[in-house]
Amino acid sequence: MAKLSFKRGARDSFFEALFIIAKNDRQVVVVTADCGAPSLDQFRTHLSHQYVGVGIAEQNMITVAAGLALAGKIPYVYAIAPFASLRCYEMIKVDICSMHLPITVLGVGAGLSYDIMGPTHHTTEDISIMRALPDMTIYTPSDSIMAAALANLTYQQRRPQYVRFDREVFLSIYPETADFSAGLTHLRQGKGTCLVATGIMVHSALRVADELKKKGLDLGVIDLYRAAPITGELLIKAVADYDLIISLEEHFVVGGIADALPRVLAEAGICKRLHNIGLPHKYLFEYGGRRRLHELTGLDDESLAQKIAKIIGQAK
Amino acid sequence: MLTIPALKEKARWVRRQILEMGLAAKSGHVTSSFSCTELLVALYHGGILRVNPQNPVWPERDIFLMSKGQSGIGLYPVLADMGFFPVADLKNFAGAGSHLGVHIGKDIPGSEIVSGSLGHGLGIACGWALADRMDFTNRLIVVLLGDGECYEGSVWEAALFAGHHRLNNIVAIIDRNQMGVLDFTECSLQLNPLDEKFRAFGWDVQTIDGHSFEAIFAAFQDVRSRRNAKPLMIIANTVKGKGVSFMENARFWHYRVPEGDQIEAARKELAQG
Repeated sequence: MAKLSFKRGARDSFFEALFIIAKNDRQVVVVTADCGAPSLDQFRTHLSHQYVGVGIAEQNMITVAAGLALAGKIPYVYAIAPFASLRCYEMIKVDICSMHLPITVLGVGAGLSYDIMGPTHHTTEDISIMRALPDMTIYTPSDSIMAAALANLTYQQRRPQYVRFDREVFLSIYPETADFSAGLTHLRQGKGTCLVATGIMVHSALRVADELKKKGLDLGVIDLYRAAPITGELLIKAVADYDLIISLEEHFVVGGIADALPRVLAEAGICKRLHNIGLPHKYLFEYGGRRRLHELTGLDDESLAQKIAKIIGQAK
Repeated sequence: MLTIPALKEKARWVRRQILEMGLAAKSGHVTSSFSCTELLVALYHGGILRVNPQNPVWPERDIFLMSKGQSGIGLYPVLADMGFFPVADLKNFAGAGSHLGVHIGKDIPGSEIVSGSLGHGLGIACGWALADRMDFTNRLIVVLLGDGECYEGSVWEAALFAGHHRLNNIVAIIDRNQMGVLDFTECSLQLNPLDEKFRAFGWDVQTIDGHSFEAIFAAFQDVRSRRNAKPLMIIANTVKGKGVSFMENARFWHYRVPEGDQIEAARKELAQG
């Protein structure tokens, strides 16, 4: 079995793992909307009969995948995230979710990954709209080990699924043996306050927790890598000992994990103090890189640390 | 295999069912189902499609995709009469507990897809046809579109794909009844020349009289042994509301059922055929 490399980004780690799966199961088919990846080249060259290009036509990408799935295939469709989600949303609703087909939608460019490309390429509403679909499972891998594991998990689960990949190569958080069936990981135990983050913000949360530790604040960190469905029991258990929960995402708080968390708590009749940190509800026609966008939106580490310390201070 | 007169009688029966279902439910797209009645009867009762009503998911079946899902009311009587489900189910069309909605829902024996939103069926046909080619499965993928459906951009995304990949296991039919919801297509937004458009997208195109069984059978005659590598598009010229004179080619009948005196008048015309 080929050895996986985790020095690659999440998307490429996923495709490397998927390639191994696809070599052993010819029913696995990748459908792309003219969106490349170094790791996809091996599909094009070595598994060309399991690789379909539809051109820059995301709606057709979904309907073609639906036809493939109805005929017994296990399609993975791939495009830049806003186009793989928003552009063909109604196709995902009707052709994937309403028929409960085993199609996994792969979107690259979670949040502000495509920083200088502008709001057409920012993906700041996808968690929100995908959460609205009955039956849809949403993943935001926070490292490459998780991404590779998700290739196996999505293959095994065979249901409507959406994986949103960041473009950055993250530091590894998880051991290679980690299991991701729970949907969340309590990465760090803290006292009083817990940060519940997803995607790139998990890394921010860990750094900010380190920083605030120096100031005597002991923050917990939960990686909510599966925004839907959230296993209520596990989340409630994870946050049971915290008084204050702060959600953290590089996504609009409208419909994001900010909205998912209180739903889970409300369904269980649990009352907690909640705060949301995410992107302001507007389109960012600003350039200069992701770090600058974070500074402008208060998602840089320094602003986050200040904001979180202030929230904790107010809570006391 | 039924004779042409028997098929015509079957089409009369189907139209009468459509009318009665529409009247009972006070709903359903009656006129755009009247326009494709002969097409559906030819496909099923005429034996064009290889199907097995006792086993709707028979692996060797041909695939029929009703992309114009508003014509569920037209498809259901055909499927029921073929034996996919009881004819008695038609009486509860769109009623509580029925599996037969105005648009085509889930788990209807003989129906392959959820349909009602336009512009999906041709792309699904492409995926299915491609999968069959990958698996060396030899069967037809037949998809029925409305002409108004061809306003959807996704139809053309799929048309481009089928033409490029030379998916000649696809036979698409356009129910060219010349009308959308509110108006004639050529008045609201010109579709013509539809045949030239599809030819330019890499399709083999035939234009036929969609109410003539002879013409439909001729179009499908050698469809399993076509030498042409292109997907086949059959543009079936039809009449929206066909069979009831006052509903034919008349605006505002897209989503209406007869009322008052119109009811007996419609029944009478359909009985005479």
